[in-house]
Amino acid sequence: MLGSMRYAVKTLPPNDLVDLLTRARPAEGAPPNILRVLHAIHDVCGSIDPGFIPAIAQSQGVTDADVAGVLSYYPSLNTQPAGRHRIQVCLGESCLANRCDLVVAAIRSQLGIDLDQTTSDGRFMLEPVSCVGNCAVSPSVRIDGELHGRVRPSDIAGFLDRYR
Amino acid sequence: MSRVRLYLSNDTSSCAAGAERLAEAWRQRSEVELIRTSSRGAFFLEPMVERDSPDGRLAWCHVTADDLPKILAGDGGLPISTIPFLSKQTRHTFATFGVTEPLSPEAYQAHGGLAGLRTAQQLSSSAIIREIKTSRLRGRGGAAFPVWKKWDVAATTTADRKYVVANADEGDAGTYCDRMIMEGDPFRLIEGMLICGRAIGAQAGYVYCRQEYPKATACLHDAIRAADAAGWLEFDGRRFSIEVVSGAGSYVCGEETALLESLEGRRGVVRARPPHPAQSGLYGQPTIVSNVLTFATIPNILARGGSWHASMGTEGSRGTAVLQLGGRVKQPGLIEVPFGLTLREVLDQFGQGMADGARLKAVQVGGPLGSLFTDAQLDIPICFDAFAQADAILGHGGIVVFDHETDMLELSRHLMAFVADESCGKCVPCRIGSVRAREILETVQAGQATEADLSLLAELGDTMKLTSLCGLGGRAPYPVLSALERFPVEFRSRLRS
Ligand code: FES
Repeated sequence: MLGSMRYAVKTLPPNDLVDLLTRARPAEGAPPNILRVLHAIHDVCGSIDPGFIPAIAQSQGVTDADVAGVLSYYPSLNTQPAGRHRIQVCLGESCLANRCDLVVAAIRSQLGIDLDQTTSDGRFMLEPVSCVGNCAVSPSVRIDGELHGRVRPSDIAGFLDRYR
Repeated sequence: MSRVRLYLSNDTSSCAAGAERLAEAWRQRSEVELIRTSSRGAFFLEPMVERDSPDGRLAWCHVTADDLPKILAGDGGLPISTIPFLSKQTRHTFATFGVTEPLSPEAYQAHGGLAGLRTAQQLSSSAIIREIKTSRLRGRGGAAFPVWKKWDVAATTTADRKYVVANADEGDAGTYCDRMIMEGDPFRLIEGMLICGRAIGAQAGYVYCRQEYPKATACLHDAIRAADAAGWLEFDGRRFSIEVVSGAGSYVCGEETALLESLEGRRGVVRARPPHPAQSGLYGQPTIVSNVLTFATIPNILARGGSWHASMGTEGSRGTAVLQLGGRVKQPGLIEVPFGLTLREVLDQFGQGMADGARLKAVQVGGPLGSLFTDAQLDIPICFDAFAQADAILGHGGIVVFDHETDMLELSRHLMAFVADESCGKCVPCRIGSVRAREILETVQAGQATEADLSLLAELGDTMKLTSLCGLGGRAPYPVLSALERFPVEFRSRLRS
């Protein structure tokens, strides 16, 4: 990933992690739930530092390998630090039919990064996604929480300007 | 001055089409009372604004913020009943879409909500299941398994706990009806789950919702809280809890056993069957896994009777088909019609043909694992059996139309690369077969392949079809091989001579 170390990484202060893991500890006799804990951390940090694996494993009473296995399995759990703004561009078939390739090309050329990369200033990360359920108003681009439909390549510059 | 009540959809796609901009622009206007509804699904007309009139709702389409004076004056509104895309449909599950406020329990009940649950509360478990059997409802998620059979197995298996799981991992690109239900009529899903829970004797329900649907997740949370506050989450004096759980971007988690693994917090890897989840599912307990649309179809069946449902559709496919039209058609959107219309009729009558300047090349039905149809093959009736005979699937009802500019070789590579990425890795034919198949297609693209490579692709496809553990590997070859068969020149012209 381009220059991933050059910008601040959002992380969890050690005490918050301990708190979170304590809360996520399964109740007496209840089964562990690794994905749930990973989601909780991801929601706060935007990614998961693999250095947290042993602590997560301990809180759930599972092995480090169990946690690493779940973490590596799910595409939307990032282990790289997240950019400030997350651009998701849909490559699903309805968007494909509506030429999302041209939209991707416009974003790539304006940001100088490829899919699954982050700009060197940490401003944008660009992720592919397969369908956001907006197929009737495709092609679709989601920036942070905001979903844009019927996107034309010429819209991209204006969108990006709104996110600093 | 009295305020004029305007209705504006709050659906994800309506907002992406501009509804949210309208809401922002008009929020401060004292002459407007804005009601945020679900969407009617005529997305090609959105953003759409409605107001009441003596002739029912009037609609203004493709609205911009500057159109407000016109709307307030009542100029140029179109009666909803005159929009053919909507008037030609048979809306049952989606009957109240665009009409009501999704998160209002009062509005839900005012439009007939909870009638199914009330009926179910008067019936024994076996009588509920008999009604579902009479309805001849088959699962709407893709496998089309008779719903009553699963319920019967779960109901008659003795266990400490039983579960109801709504599969809201609507992963097939080109589909969005589950998203619309969760955002636009979440109580209908909840009611369906409650009826199922009572029929099988379950204590808890989960909705496994894909992470790509943040608004649906939020709406469900709110709807569950509202249902709980209204005292709906119980039957027979016992509480039935419902919880929303988020997926994490894995397509195969839409497969029911992978979904259960994921719900337990593990890697979403497919389990070998038998046992089926109805016998041994979540935490080894009897579990009904059905998709959102299936659960949302249940309340009407209980309220109006199984034979009402069975009176619609074709011999093997009773009830209505919920289709989602996307791609290069003129009128993309949600369509609910009785099973039996042909694919061509759907594209012509509802899609109104191709978008300007586009010519039809191929139609993919049923998501990334669905077969491709050419223009000459569009007279196939929309029903489970006709599609099965054609080696195709209806899947979740997604229909994506590709135009003349589509490179079928690249589309095939894209689809196979998707499977290679999403394979859970449990079985060899899918894990390795999809990677090899993608490589062969890349060799063809590079101009390095020979006729022997295409034979190998077909052979590999047969192995994957016959030996994969689940539908992902088993269906993956179909779109690619159907493209190869129907557009041979696009592959063969790229071979090394
Ligand atoms: S295919 Fe892009 S939103 Fe569905």
